[in-house]
Amino acid sequence: MIHLGLSLTPFGHDSTAWQGANHEALGFDALLKQVLLAEEAGFDFIWLADRMGERPVDMLSPLATPFEPTTLASALATRTTSIGLIATAATRQHEPYNLARRFASLDWISHGRAGWAIVAGTNDARDREYAELVSALWDSWEDDAFIYDKTTGRFFVPEKMHVLNHKGANFSVRGPLNVNRSPQGKPVLAAINGSPVAHLADVIFVLDGAPIAEVADERAEVRIIKSVTDFTGPAEDVADIFEREAESGIDGFVLMPSKTADLATFIETVLPELRRRGLLTTPPAGGTLRGRLGLPYPAHPSSLERAS
Amino acid sequence: MSDRKMRLGAFLMAGGHHISSWRHPAAYAPAGTSIKHFIELAQIAERSKFDMMFVEDAAAIRERNPDMASQAARSTMFEPLSLLAALAVNTSHIGLVATASTTYNEPYGLARAFASIDQLSGGRAGWNLVTSASELEAENFASSGLRPHSERYERAEEFADAALALWDSVEDGAYLSGGQFADPSRLHPVHHKGKHFTVEGILESPRSPQGRPIMVQAGASDVGKELAARTADVVFAASQTIGEAQAYYADVKQRLAKHGRQPDDIKIMPGISPIVAETESEARAKYQALQELIPDAVGVALLASYLSIGDLSAYPIDGPLPELPQTQAMQSRQKLIVDLGKRENLSIRDLARNFAGARGHWQVFGTPQRIADAMEERFLAGAADGFNVMAPLFPSGLEDFVAMVIPELQRRGLFRTEYEGRTLRENLGVGAPAKR
Repeated sequence: MIHLGLSLTPFGHDSTAWQGANHEALGFDALLKQVLLAEEAGFDFIWLADRMGERPVDMLSPLATPFEPTTLASALATRTTSIGLIATAATRQHEPYNLARRFASLDWISHGRAGWAIVAGTNDARDREYAELVSALWDSWEDDAFIYDKTTGRFFVPEKMHVLNHKGANFSVRGPLNVNRSPQGKPVLAAINGSPVAHLADVIFVLDGAPIAEVADERAEVRIIKSVTDFTGPAEDVADIFEREAESGIDGFVLMPSKTADLATFIETVLPELRRRGLLTTPPAGGTLRGRLGLPYPAHPSSLERAS
Repeated sequence: MSDRKMRLGAFLMAGGHHISSWRHPAAYAPAGTSIKHFIELAQIAERSKFDMMFVEDAAAIRERNPDMASQAARSTMFEPLSLLAALAVNTSHIGLVATASTTYNEPYGLARAFASIDQLSGGRAGWNLVTSASELEAENFASSGLRPHSERYERAEEFADAALALWDSVEDGAYLSGGQFADPSRLHPVHHKGKHFTVEGILESPRSPQGRPIMVQAGASDVGKELAARTADVVFAASQTIGEAQAYYADVKQRLAKHGRQPDDIKIMPGISPIVAETESEARAKYQALQELIPDAVGVALLASYLSIGDLSAYPIDGPLPELPQTQAMQSRQKLIVDLGKRENLSIRDLARNFAGARGHWQVFGTPQRIADAMEERFLAGAADGFNVMAPLFPSGLEDFVAMVIPELQRRGLFRTEYEGRTLRENLGVGAPAKR
């Protein structure tokens, strides 16, 4: 089975695709239109790559959406119903507590469709501590911590709140997170192939045809998603390539259209061919991004302890 | 008669401003995780032509003691910037103001997020700048504890300057200009090297439709008021008496001249927590229904947290407040509580119950006429340019205010019947920054 994603840009991934375009393409409505097109076609997610955390020094890039990705994802969440929303955020640009809140909140706003594409920095140990810390903050509350008992006046069960008291080499965070445990338990974590935190990721993006590095030991719990820039050939040829890749262990593709119009072409030509071959999944309606990707719900550590 | 109009903000919270609102039969207890709830509240306020909606923030739970925390609804909530972004594309005219800390953010990331919300909303974003006074927040970011008041404000000053520079880094018309994707002559990279931050670069978004996001502050200390006088468009405040409110109003306004600003360049909007009903006794009964839901220990714990004192439970609940040490945290709110206790000779229990309604903000109960009278009096007496309305219970408290008080204010010519413009800056009527 093949999962499909779209890397969202205003004009396309070709640096000349903006030529002849107008301002409207830079606005929210035009981006939403692309996302709705992908959603209706059954895509599993969009990815806001955010120039991989690169900040502009003195020039604007036509490949960048002119919105900060987590806020754009939040806005898109309220105007879409089923597509996953993966936003990039770099570990050197956010405090872990703030980032954990932002994505937990986004998971609530999207009813369980949020994902964080982590961009690591230059210090592997720090990045690992960062990702583990964020994940632990998402475990601040057990699934059934909030009982809202008006009669007894108990909003949550105090024993089901977990204060972290993390003191590591790079971060010191008391916790708990001040956002409820989110619909997916934890937002989906995506990392780039070869990232120092790839072993923690639910989704691994393989970009630019790079060979797949050693990934998680348990293949069942990670999805390998390869980037595709050229998918404009004859539908059968493209489907052949996708099918071959899928047989070699690729779980899906994130499309990086040269120009945005290529998305519609793909949907009209290649998608029916993939469907005809039985390569596309039919996701459950109203489900979470984890559900769409066939990833398990992350059990809370306390419930695991109780079960053992 | 002057055509000066009141500015109104809808200060939103999940269940309501009253500490026990979530227990009320009409309350939707899980409101803090319901985006639908917040979209509806923002839309109610927008239909009534409120200038803005507003959310507060702390980057931590509010109460250290788990037993106390678990009896209040304030421990968890949406992260405000993701909330604002969601509201931006589900409203069309109302301003969207969220609180964010200068102590636990970096200028580039925060300026960028607000610029993004400003684009999403077509120029309706506002940032309530706070320096974060609680120990619980400090412990989520470092092992070194809460930084002193003066140091937090020094950082805030530099933070505000860096954010303002970033919002000016992309000029109007920089995108898709003269056959180029971006016109380099309209890009103004920031090169900021200060004591607290190094900021290099430009924001990757068009210049705000309102020039820059609206700046809001609520600082009541001397340095807080100074920062507001230099940078804020709107000031929130907590005042109990009209005298306190007038003194605060005059103090902030007289600080503007030395920054080359006019008195009208800042709108001062103290909090008001209204309980409105057709009769006085009905309004009292509504208030009592909420008051009866407060467990004493929870009320006292809330009071203690605003006094920046760890625990008040060691003192007799029917006795007066003890003498308190000088605090590094919320100095002005501590003074407000101490003054209130002395002025009205209140015990710890009385103070806690009073405080549970609106955390020290002005509470007014009664008929629509009475509430409009009270607002009009302060509006005309140099105590307020408008109010930040803190309904004790959502949505019904806001619905009541909108159904009963707003028409009365409009009938008196004190509040708009249509929005003047599309941006928050236009509707507030505060000076636009120069076009770049």
